[in-house]
Amino acid sequence: MLEKEDISKVSRSKRFEIRIAGFGGQGVVTIGRILGEAFAIYEGKNSTNSQSYGPESRGGACKSEVVVSDGEIYYPNVRRPDVLIALSQKALDTYLPDLKEGGLLLIDPTSVKDIPFPDKYRIHKIAAMEIAHRMGSVKYQNSVALGALHPLIGDILEESSLRKAIADSVPVETVAVNMQAFDKGLDSAQRKSG
Amino acid sequence: MSKGPQERHLLKPGRYYLQGSEACVEGALMAGCRVFAGYPITPASEAMEHAARRFPQVGGRFIQMEDEIGSASVLIGASWGGAKAMTATSSPGFSLMQEAISIGIISETPMVIVDIQRPGPGQGYITASQEDVMQARWGHHGEGSIIALAPASVQEMFDLTIQAFNLSEKWRTPVLVMAEEPVAHLRELLRVGARADIGIINRSKPQDLGIQPDDYLPWGHDVVAPMANWGEGYSVNFVGLVHKEDGNVTDWSSEVNCNCTKRLLSKIEGNAREIAQIETRFVEGSRNFVISYGSVSRTAIEAVMEAREQNGIDLGYVRLKTLWPFPEENLRAAITSADTIFIPEMNFGMMRHPIVEALGDRCRNFVSIPSLGILHSPELILSKIVEVT
Amino acid sequence: MLKYLKEEGLMGPRLPLLLCPGCGHGQVLNYTLHAVDRIIKEDKMAKEKLLFISGVGCSSRLTSHYLNFDSGWTIHGRALAVATGALLANPEFRVVVFSGDGDMASIGGNHFIHACRRNMDLTIVCMNNGLYGMTGGQQAPTSPRDMITTTTPYGNPEEAFDLCKMAEVAGANFVARWTTAHPHQVVKTIVKGIRKKGTAFIEILSQCPVHRKANPADMLETFKKMTVPWAKAKEEDKDKIPIGEFCDHDKPDWNASYEKILDQYKS
Repeated sequence: MLEKEDISKVSRSKRFEIRIAGFGGQGVVTIGRILGEAFAIYEGKNSTNSQSYGPESRGGACKSEVVVSDGEIYYPNVRRPDVLIALSQKALDTYLPDLKEGGLLLIDPTSVKDIPFPDKYRIHKIAAMEIAHRMGSVKYQNSVALGALHPLIGDILEESSLRKAIADSVPVETVAVNMQAFDKGLDSAQRKSG
Repeated sequence: MSKGPQERHLLKPGRYYLQGSEACVEGALMAGCRVFAGYPITPASEAMEHAARRFPQVGGRFIQMEDEIGSASVLIGASWGGAKAMTATSSPGFSLMQEAISIGIISETPMVIVDIQRPGPGQGYITASQEDVMQARWGHHGEGSIIALAPASVQEMFDLTIQAFNLSEKWRTPVLVMAEEPVAHLRELLRVGARADIGIINRSKPQDLGIQPDDYLPWGHDVVAPMANWGEGYSVNFVGLVHKEDGNVTDWSSEVNCNCTKRLLSKIEGNAREIAQIETRFVEGSRNFVISYGSVSRTAIEAVMEAREQNGIDLGYVRLKTLWPFPEENLRAAITSADTIFIPEMNFGMMRHPIVEALGDRCRNFVSIPSLGILHSPELILSKIVEVT
Repeated sequence: MLKYLKEEGLMGPRLPLLLCPGCGHGQVLNYTLHAVDRIIKEDKMAKEKLLFISGVGCSSRLTSHYLNFDSGWTIHGRALAVATGALLANPEFRVVVFSGDGDMASIGGNHFIHACRRNMDLTIVCMNNGLYGMTGGQQAPTSPRDMITTTTPYGNPEEAFDLCKMAEVAGANFVARWTTAHPHQVVKTIVKGIRKKGTAFIEILSQCPVHRKANPADMLETFKKMTVPWAKAKEEDKDKIPIGEFCDHDKPDWNASYEKILDQYKS
C-alpha cells in the first residue's frame, strides 16, 4: 500500500539559475562548465550544466546554463535566470526579457552596447576579451569574466571553489596565468563597485 | 583479459562532475566492460571519445570501426570471445545495427548498445528526441524480445549502464540503453560508491556448473543457458539460424522454429516482473497521472510538483525506468483507476501505445504531450495539465 | 582429418558433406584441415586457440556445421568485424575466416578493406567461385565481364575485382592466390598464413560446377590452364590469372600496435 506522499514535506529546493550566452568561441560553454563544477564539487552543492548551439561551431549563437541548489534539481535547465552573462549584443537581445527583475546582468561592453530598460537590472560590465587580449591570449577571457562574476555571487560561491574549478579546466602550464586573469577580472569589478 | 594493475584506473569512490556520456562509459568500465567499438555520430561522439581515452587505461580495448554495422558485429565476436562489450551510437546508426541486434537475440549474446537518440526520420537533426523507443523493441527483424532502459540523470547514465550489463549477462541478451541528448550532454553530480558495494553479474558458465564439453547444450540446461565462450575447450559453434538446444539447425520443423523463438520471447517477457522497473511519486489517492521516461521525467516531476503546490491539482508521477519489457504489471499495481493520464514524449506518442494497452480498462482519457527536437519545458506540460483537468 | 570434424554437427552427421558434388569448397576444407593439423603438431598449438569464423554463403558453411573447433557462423559480410571483436576480447586467438567472394567483396567489402588496413592478426581463406552460389548463381563482384548469370542474363557489363590487389593495397601482410587444383601449394600457404602475424589473405579459385554447368574435373583442368605462377609469367601469359604469393611483409598487427598504448598503463 503506497503511502500518500505529503507535498508539504517534499519541498522543492530553491534554485539559483545562471545563463551564459554569446557566440561560439567566446567560452560560453567553458564558463558554464567551470561554474557547474565549482558549485558541485568544491562548494558541496548540487548543480546541473547544459548547453545548446547554433549550427555553426564558430560564430554561431551559443548558450550555456547552470542551475544550483542545496537539494535535488529536477528540471535541469534555466526557467527564469537570476544571472545573465551576455557576451554579444544578439545574446542580450534574445535573453534579457527572461532575466528576473532585479537580476544580475554581466556584459562585455565591447560587444554589448544597447541595454533596454537598464534600471530593471543590476548591471555590471567587464571587458573580458580586451583584458585577455592585453594579457596575451583571448583564451584567458573566461577566467577574466569569472573573476568579475565572483563578487556578485560570492555569498553562494567561495573564491577558492571557483579558482579550483578554473585550474581543473585549463592546461596545467597555464594555471598561473589564468589565476592572474581571474585577479584582473576581480580587480576590475571591485574597482567599479568600490 | 587481464585483471591486473590497470583496474586501479576505475573511478574511485567520490563525487564527480561528469557529462552523461562520460558517466555511461565509466559505468560500463565499472561493470567489467573491456571492449568498445564505435563509429562517430552526433550526439554520441563524446561517449566514444571518452571510451577511447579510458578503455586502455583499464586494460580494455577500443576500436573505431568503419561503420556502425562493423561496430555492432564486433560486439558479437567480443562477447563470444569472452568479453563484455559495448557501443554507443545515435538514431541513424541504431538503424544500421538492427541486423546484429537480431542475431544477438537469437544467439543469446550479452551485449550493450547505447542509443543517444536524435530527431528523425533520416538525418533529422542533432538535438533531443525519444523517437527510437518503438524501434528499440521492434527494430530488429523477427520475433524475440529485448531489454531497454531509460536513464533520466547523469547518475543513472552510470547506474543504469551497470544494470544494463548485469541484465545482459544474467539474461544472455542484448540490452539497450535508450538515452537522449539532454541527459547525454548534461553535467551534474555523479556519486560513485565503493567497488565492493557495486553488484556485478557475470554470465553463468557450464564449467562452473560441472557440465562437461561432451554434455554441453549451448542453448539448453536452463531458462538462460550457461554460456561457454570461444577458447575454453568447449568447441562452441555460434549460429544465427533457428536451432535446437544443442545448436542443431538441420532438423527444422515448425515446432522447432516455434520453440526456439518462443524461448527468446518468454525469457524476457515472461520475466518482465523481475526485469522491469518504474518509479512513482504521489500516486496514492491521485486521480490524474503523468507517465514519462528518460530526460522528459525531469521536466515532468517539476511540473507535477508545481501543479500540486500551486494549482492544487491531484496529480501522480510515474516514471518508466525500463521501457522494454514493458512494465505492465508495475503500472497496473500503481494505477488502479484514473481520470486522465498525461504522456509527455519527445515524439508524437510512441510509449503511449503500450500504456493505453496496459491501462485502457482503468482510464478513458489519455493525453499525449509532444515536444519534438527539444526537451519539454515545465510550462508546456503544466499548461496542458491545467487545460484538461 | 576426420577427427577435426564432429561426428554429429549442427547440420547432422558429418558425412556426406552438405556441399554439392564436385564443389571446390570441400577441397578447401580438406586443405585447411591439413594445414591446421600441421600447425597443431609442428607448433604444438592448443586446439582451444583456433577459431573459425564465417559469414553467409556456401563457403561460410565450412564453419559450425562440422568443425570440432570453436567457430562462428555469423552475419553476411560481417565475419571480419566479428573476428575483429574476438581478437579485441582475446588477442591469443588464432583466427581463420572462411569467406566467399560475394560475402567478402560485396556486402563485406568495407570490412575486408579495413581488416587488411588494420592488419588484424587473422587468416582469410577466400573461396572465389565468381558468383553467389547459395542463393542460386547470381553475379558477384568477382564475376568476369560478359559472364552469364541469373542476374546478368545478357552478359555481365561490369569488371571484376582483383581481390589480391585490393588486399595488398589495403595493407595485408601476406597475400596469395591459388586454386583448388593446387593442393600442396594451398596447404603450405595456409600453414604460412596461420603462422603469420597480421592479415594473411589467401584467395583460392574454387569451382562451382552446378551454377557454371560444367564438369568439376574439367573445371580443375581449366584452373591449371588459365593460371600462371606470376614469377614465371611470360608475354604469352598476359591473359592468364597470376597465382602465387604476392607479398610477404612483417608490419605489426593491430593488437601489437595497441599493446604499446596498453603498456603505458600496465605498471
